[in-house]
Amino acid sequence: MKGINLKSDDANAAARGLLARGMEAGLWDAALVPARVPAGDSYAWLLLRDAAALERTTPLPPVMSVSGARALYKLARHGTARRVVAVLRPCEVRAAVELYKREQLPLDDIFLISMDCPGAVPLKDYVEDPEAGEELFGKMLAGVEEPGREICRSCDHFSHTASDLHLGTLGVPEGNVVVVPASAAGEAAAEKLGLGDAGPVAEWEAEVEKRNASRREAKEEAHRALREEAAGPERLAATLGRCIGCHGCRSVCPICFCRQCYFESEALKVPAANVFARAERKGAARLPADTFLFHLGRMAHISLSCVSCGACEDACPVQIPVAQLFGLVAANTQSLFDYEAGRDRAEAVPTTYYREEELAYLSEPYVEARAPEGVGADG
Amino acid sequence: MDEEFEPKLLYILCSWCGSGGSESARAHGLKYPANVLPYRVNCTGSLPPVHILRALLEGADGVAVSGCYPGDCHYEGGNYHARRRVALTKAILEALDLGEDRLWFRFVAHGEGRRFVDTAAEFNDHLKELGPNPLNEITTT
Repeated sequence: MKGINLKSDDANAAARGLLARGMEAGLWDAALVPARVPAGDSYAWLLLRDAAALERTTPLPPVMSVSGARALYKLARHGTARRVVAVLRPCEVRAAVELYKREQLPLDDIFLISMDCPGAVPLKDYVEDPEAGEELFGKMLAGVEEPGREICRSCDHFSHTASDLHLGTLGVPEGNVVVVPASAAGEAAAEKLGLGDAGPVAEWEAEVEKRNASRREAKEEAHRALREEAAGPERLAATLGRCIGCHGCRSVCPICFCRQCYFESEALKVPAANVFARAERKGAARLPADTFLFHLGRMAHISLSCVSCGACEDACPVQIPVAQLFGLVAANTQSLFDYEAGRDRAEAVPTTYYREEELAYLSEPYVEARAPEGVGADG
Repeated sequence: MDEEFEPKLLYILCSWCGSGGSESARAHGLKYPANVLPYRVNCTGSLPPVHILRALLEGADGVAVSGCYPGDCHYEGGNYHARRRVALTKAILEALDLGEDRLWFRFVAHGEGRRFVDTAAEFNDHLKELGPNPLNEITTT
């Protein structure tokens, strides 16, 4: 893999410098970058048209208040007609790629820069105590503290993704940031920017691979533990029981783009008689109804595109491990089709095509005339 | 298992081959268990997984899906899409241990009345063995 060294001991400063150079060189007309909000208790996405304004941005913030893919979608869903550069976390890049593949986000004029991500601080914790959040994030960046968010601790996609340029900081000697072009547009941009010599790419690659291996183990362990805690009707009921039906997890999900959500539609607004029938059958009927259906149905809709960004879990007001549940299910549904959300822009979403010779096992083996007594032809 | 248990079985059929199979069964005087509820959709490819999930959450002990054989779909690939979606739904149920074997998928051709009643009866026996769907016991779904 080719690399270019940006001499900097601060990933944020390196990213800001890169953006400013690109804007001055005319590569991009505007930049989409997070910046700390005035009150200092969160970060928000800003579209900047002036390189000078980059000074107050934080390309890699401690929290993911809103997924960058969602911010980008809000800007560019019908195209931008201007060249925009966005600095995203790897999971945000992958979500943007999924939206692109689902024909919701044209990426023609969008240049994606990703950065090695140490994970994020839980949004609620940060809002409550920003200084403690900054301190924790500093330790996460230094590699002396595990990611604050549970879902980030088992993330094995924290580095190089389907972006155009990637900034690598893991494993490289202090004072260096490796810039890795990851697409033709990335190569062209790197050339135009005239970035320096090849940096310590080998060290970076080795460190990423090493961390990935341990994260994959952590993921397996997390899934095993979660199945023990939440799998099965009873235990899932215990986990989803506290859901208040706010649908916040869906509102913040970068992949949920439908204009009319099935779970808000008339289809689920049933007459009282239906609720009475449920109450009679089960002894009681929960209201608002369809809590399980909302979560399982959403898994059917988006688990193939779920990138485990954790926005849903950050948004949940009653601490349901939504992202972890989705991650567990997504691992199963994506591996079924040998698919990985956001891996490759050219890889089609599995529900959009089929192969004739696949899943043959699904058609249960049929043996003629296995019908039990009393069923079949009239005597 | 409780001798008295009679499963509620939803059998989703496409309006061409699946339903055709049930018509052929009638023409040949074949019978299927009375607790099987046929549910006709235009094409199994138009069946969203949420309908399957909704059935399993709200009273069904099992859901079977039958559409045209490969190459026979009246909309070219609806049956293949259905197969993918059933596989997807089963993967969700499996990951959360909610009983993926309560969902069956089998091609039935228009003339295959025998295959239609056999599948219904076989699935019915299978569900009797599995017992009642535990999701039906949970009041907070």
